[in-house]
Amino acid sequence: MPRRRTPPGRTQRRKDVRHRTGAGSGDAFRCVGCRLGVPVVAPGTAHRNHCPSCLASRHVDGRVPGDRASPCGGRMVAVSLSTRPDGEWQLVHQCTACGVLKLNRVAGDDNALALVRLAVRPLADRGLGRRALREL
Amino acid sequence: MSDTFTCVRCGLVVVTLAPGDARRNHCPSCLSSRHTIDHVDGGPSDCEGRMAPLSIAVQRDGSWSLVHRCTRCRELALHPTAPDDNQLILMRLAVRPLAEPPFPLDVFSTL
Repeated sequence: MPRRRTPPGRTQRRKDVRHRTGAGSGDAFRCVGCRLGVPVVAPGTAHRNHCPSCLASRHVDGRVPGDRASPCGGRMVAVSLSTRPDGEWQLVHQCTACGVLKLNRVAGDDNALALVRLAVRPLADRGLGRRALREL
Repeated sequence: MSDTFTCVRCGLVVVTLAPGDARRNHCPSCLSSRHTIDHVDGGPSDCEGRMAPLSIAVQRDGSWSLVHRCTRCRELALHPTAPDDNQLILMRLAVRPLAEPPFPLDVFSTL
């Protein structure tokens, strides 16, 4: 199966929030789920906010992505996958501390097994998924 | 207590009380909702935009929840599904990522 080429129409949202430069911030972060050191630069995305290995993130932003306005700081786990109209996958994260939801595009080096496990989770459930398929 | 609301997308009059002692916030026919609660700061929201179903999240106990996104201000919300929600739209949301994978899924057959 050939890799789908992204249509040229949609570009990524421009990043107009300046991050602090200097020691301790900027080019890498430590995953709150698995303690992996993650560089911020990633193939396929300019807005990496989650660990490529366990897909966990941290609740630091308020309403605008990148504004660092939230005092919560809780761990965010990936609860669901959604698809953009152009076929790109997006992760839905939920904060384990306050329950808020965030949306972020998957990066090119995200763990494919973790992504697919998340994608088949609604269908793997033996109650609702099977019953819904039978009723169609 | 049992009151009704009119769906902002399809105009269906919906009883808030769902089967199984739950309250519903979305239309069982088109799964659209309305943005009345501020989920970031809490309290009521004055957006009142239409919230479209985005994806399905599975809770720890195996039940399905629906992720909504406001079409006006793009805020996200999570609400459990009701037993009489439209199964066709629910399944369409559930299989949507698998229908358009960003990488070939053939490699997983060897695992």
